[in-house]
Amino acid sequence: MGREYETFLRDREFVLSGRECILTLRDLSPGKMKYRGINVRAVVSSPPVPGEPILWVRSVVGLKDPDPCSVRIVEELPDTFEGRPYSDYFAALERAQG
Amino acid sequence: MENNDFRSFLSTIEASGDLVQVDDQVDWDQELAGIGRLSCEKDGPAFLFNNVKDYSPEWRVATNPIATWRRLAVALNLSPDIPLRELYQAYAERETVMIPPRIVDDGPCKEVKIFGEEVNLFDLPVPMVHEGDGGRYLGTWDLVVSKDADSDWVNWGMYRFMIHTERILTGYPRPTSHLGKMLLDGYVPKGARMPIAIVIGADIPSHIAAAATFRISGSEAELAGGLGGRPIELVKCETSDLMVPASSEIVVEAEVYPDRIAQEGPYGEYPGYRSGEMGNSLCARVTAVTHRKDPILTLDTTGFKDSSATTTSISGAIAIKRRLEKHGVPVVDVYIPPESGVHLAVVSVKRGGAEIARNVVEILTARRALISKIIIVDADVDVFDMSAVVHAFATKCHPDRGTHIHRYEGRANALTPAYSLEERVSHSGATVAFDSTWPPDWPRETTPIRATLDSMYSPEIQKLVTERYKLLGR
Repeated sequence: MGREYETFLRDREFVLSGRECILTLRDLSPGKMKYRGINVRAVVSSPPVPGEPILWVRSVVGLKDPDPCSVRIVEELPDTFEGRPYSDYFAALERAQG
Repeated sequence: MENNDFRSFLSTIEASGDLVQVDDQVDWDQELAGIGRLSCEKDGPAFLFNNVKDYSPEWRVATNPIATWRRLAVALNLSPDIPLRELYQAYAERETVMIPPRIVDDGPCKEVKIFGEEVNLFDLPVPMVHEGDGGRYLGTWDLVVSKDADSDWVNWGMYRFMIHTERILTGYPRPTSHLGKMLLDGYVPKGARMPIAIVIGADIPSHIAAAATFRISGSEAELAGGLGGRPIELVKCETSDLMVPASSEIVVEAEVYPDRIAQEGPYGEYPGYRSGEMGNSLCARVTAVTHRKDPILTLDTTGFKDSSATTTSISGAIAIKRRLEKHGVPVVDVYIPPESGVHLAVVSVKRGGAEIARNVVEILTARRALISKIIIVDADVDVFDMSAVVHAFATKCHPDRGTHIHRYEGRANALTPAYSLEERVSHSGATVAFDSTWPPDWPRETTPIRATLDSMYSPEIQKLVTERYKLLGR
């Protein structure tokens, strides 16, 4: 089985538009590191592009889209984003996007 | 048997038939928590899982330590069969007795020490609690220690913390929580990192104290001493001056960033829903992990009727009663049903009516507003008997005049599922009081009389019927 990730989205349309975006992925590889977070600059494709890792999309309440996408990781980013505690995480992603 | 640490508590509830040990292998990825979740929903036992997939047998996981009144009673060294009203009374008496902690140089939680870059949080068998959560939650049944930046005030709270990477945690103590207040008022303005210690598997009174509704600047360590009837032994952390219960199974020491965030949530929470409040959290970097040699990680499979429901219900209800008394409300009893996800309070009063109802709702929403529904009943309704409460509510609350709504901004419970996503993010909400009392200006001669044995029959007939009923074998 190829690599699989999941991500939680508020602005689903932007991420699925095929433009480069910043995301937090959860690595679904089996084993004790499963669900490790990784911040990335990436391009998401729907329907999935053959050969790319599968990406499962969830809503802000954790509802899973039935159809998978794929993700091409352009760049791995630091573990955290700039932002005051309790500030909006999705807004921090947008700021990091530039 | 005295419960001096978490292990002795497990032994006690095993003896009372309230713990099941599982030696077969169980998957940390949803299966383990699923068993705990089902048990909560069925008022079933706690579980101790001795064989967790992907992890060595030295690591064990215990679920839902006190998700039932029976186990809460045992944790307080009371009979598991104690009536609920008496359990409330015992708790209320003990929480007025503060017993200062005792400082010790060493303790079981120091048997293994891991520092800095050597830390990998995935080495702990942290369960994936619910399918669709934002990650694996290390902090569910925990005790998080923090200290005010400008005073000696030390807070213990029970807050959720999720693993992001090997050394990064994200968490959601509400911004209105004591920890949130300390962080936002004391550390963020200075750009300073706030040390915290996430304690797992301490003695149960310490966790109850952490989860309790308690005053700002109060010492939960002293409260824990009072609840357990003995001083809590505290030992200093390795990478900060914070003090933690020495008998704890695991201690995760960390620093909260004043200027960094990462994904946290969503998470299936104590109201019994996953409400999508992700994206308003804090982020911490782990500096050390210490633990016992064969540690037990504790898990509250958060959701409907979880372990926090009993603790926050009992302490919250007693706090509400004291607060109403302080404001001159003629309160008799207060009960928060665990089934309500700590969203409903039942308040009985000597004298009811609209003015009392409005007063109650305003008092209980002045600072934080976690309760969104309040049923106010007359003193002849036993607040611990929910069938009597529902009867009073359904029949005595006027659909129009009996409903008193109080709206507020900035202090609503972001976890309340009834609120829209916008309301949850902006902490906007409302609390409603359902006045289920007779209006005080109604003349007695025309006020309806309840058709129950204790109200519509003479004392003589009541006595006769009760005795006869017993003879009938009931």
